[in-house]
Amino acid sequence: MTVSSVVVVGGGIAGVSTVAELRKHGYAGELTLVSADAVPYDRPPLSKEYLAGSRDLESIALQPPSWYAEQRISLIGSAAAVAVRPDAGEVELADGQILTADRIVLATGGRAVRPPIAQAAPIHVLREVADADRLRTQLVPGARLLIVGAGLIGAEVASTARGLGAEVVLVDPLVPPLAAAVGSEVATWLHGLHAVHGVEALATTVETLLETPTGVAVQLQGERDSREFDAVLLAVGLSPENVLAESAGLEVDRGVLIDAGQLTSHPSVLAVGDCSRLRDHPRAEHWEAAQVDGARAAATILEIAPPPAAAPWWWTDRYGLHVEGVGEMRSPDAVHQTVVRGVVGEPPFSVFTLRSERVIGAVAVDDPNAVRAARRMIDRQVDVRASDLADVTQNLRKLL
Amino acid sequence: MTGISGNDGSSTGIRVASVDDIPEGEGIAISSDITGTEDDIAILRDDDGTCWALNDTCTHETASLAEGWVEDGDVECPLHSSRFNLRTGKVDGLPATRDTVPHRVEVRDGEVYLFPGERP
Ligand SMILES: Cc1cc2nc3c(=O)[nH]c(=O)nc-3n(C[C@H](O)[C@H](O)[C@H](O)COP(=O)(O)OP(=O)(O)OC[C@H]3O[C@@H](n4cnc5c(N)ncnc54)[C@H](O)[C@@H]3O)c2cc1C
Repeated sequence: MTVSSVVVVGGGIAGVSTVAELRKHGYAGELTLVSADAVPYDRPPLSKEYLAGSRDLESIALQPPSWYAEQRISLIGSAAAVAVRPDAGEVELADGQILTADRIVLATGGRAVRPPIAQAAPIHVLREVADADRLRTQLVPGARLLIVGAGLIGAEVASTARGLGAEVVLVDPLVPPLAAAVGSEVATWLHGLHAVHGVEALATTVETLLETPTGVAVQLQGERDSREFDAVLLAVGLSPENVLAESAGLEVDRGVLIDAGQLTSHPSVLAVGDCSRLRDHPRAEHWEAAQVDGARAAATILEIAPPPAAAPWWWTDRYGLHVEGVGEMRSPDAVHQTVVRGVVGEPPFSVFTLRSERVIGAVAVDDPNAVRAARRMIDRQVDVRASDLADVTQNLRKLL
Repeated sequence: MTGISGNDGSSTGIRVASVDDIPEGEGIAISSDITGTEDDIAILRDDDGTCWALNDTCTHETASLAEGWVEDGDVECPLHSSRFNLRTGKVDGLPATRDTVPHRVEVRDGEVYLFPGERP
């Protein structure tokens, strides 16, 4: 059956990428994007430039507002889907409107995890523009901010908050965080940057949070006295937004379960981005993965060749340093080798994981083209020598 | 670097580099002081050896495209990997959404001449 109508629910990068890719590949049928936001915007700046105040909402739009009409996409903004009925091909909106489509794509992303104890006003999470706006009002010079969780978002906010003059305490029981993503040596150095930039980084957890007239009293594990903060940010992970999928009877297990073509357990419903995962993989939770999901979903709907498989890529920024990773980092063992290009801690540098003669992952600090080279080495399955990777005078593209 | 103008006012371009100064797949940035344009201009050398020129600043944020990865007719931004076509400046791939500006370049006797503001 030729598909002549598609409804995409969720206007993050995954949803916007899905509609863009459908049009790019010549889909001429009806196309509707249901977005909780008036105009879909990009999330990575929310912990970086947008939080710092150097970029505004208009400049973080995923597409200019006029783009949707140009592409003949009906953008239903500031709307919420409340039910999806796969057999009938129906999506019901909060205002009662019912959309029908041959294919429904769920791109509902996720919510920041917020433990039930943490409902007080100065306690923040960061996933939406409104969250960033609220947090920013508290990031004034001298304000005392506690960040719980030193992963990618917690670390980025620590850096931004320092830039705005706030006093920052960052707690995480896991030291160093991100070791699985960047390898333990780079993780240790990255985590150490917090102290260098005046952040008190503690290996502990929060026992209790109590709202007081002036802020939040926090009892940290292992400390005798509680501490007082003006604001607390909980950066402790993402919970996929699967309400619609569950009520639609789709198979859900820490994400809508999808196949390699983004199809869910129902043949006319697809799922993309942070709300979804392959059965035998964890959720990717990175920007580019969500974008590629959209391209794959479009290919599945149009029955054309999917985009070529590519090693997953991500970036993060802290304290003025640009960090990128690709593929998978592994500790050295019988089959894996760690190769350092440059000196860890002296950017630019990069670190590669080699399995036999093949690169399987790389991380770079202020050396993005090392990751671009590594990505091609992985995707093209190029044999390389560790000594060539480590030689900073060796142009990496010559190894491709 | 020298600017040369013909007597009839037609520009013969600004000599900005020797081709051999730009490795294949890489780029160099030419300051707006020299180009007289609003933005710096990136001279980008494709992996087939051809030279191209685009406004240097990525249309998304502030990255220098001269520091990007040049391959197969595109330059990939070193920050968030949006790709721009070397000949047309057209963007392919978020997060950038706006095309950039291409400029004409000519290679004569191993020297790269840039014609700021002229279409390739
Ligand atoms: C602060 C922050 C910083 C980040 N920084 C980076 C980074 O530097 N690098 C990187 O690689 N990744 C980064 N990420 C991760 C990246 O942004 C996410 O992986 C990406 O946004 C996932 O896209 P998505 O479209 O799947 O989900 P989302 O972006 O969550 O979008 C889903 C959308 O669907 C909407 N929605 C949900 N339910 C409904 C409904 N019933 N009806 C209508 N709409 C609905 C939601 O409101 C939301 O707008 C960051 C994330 C955050 C929060």
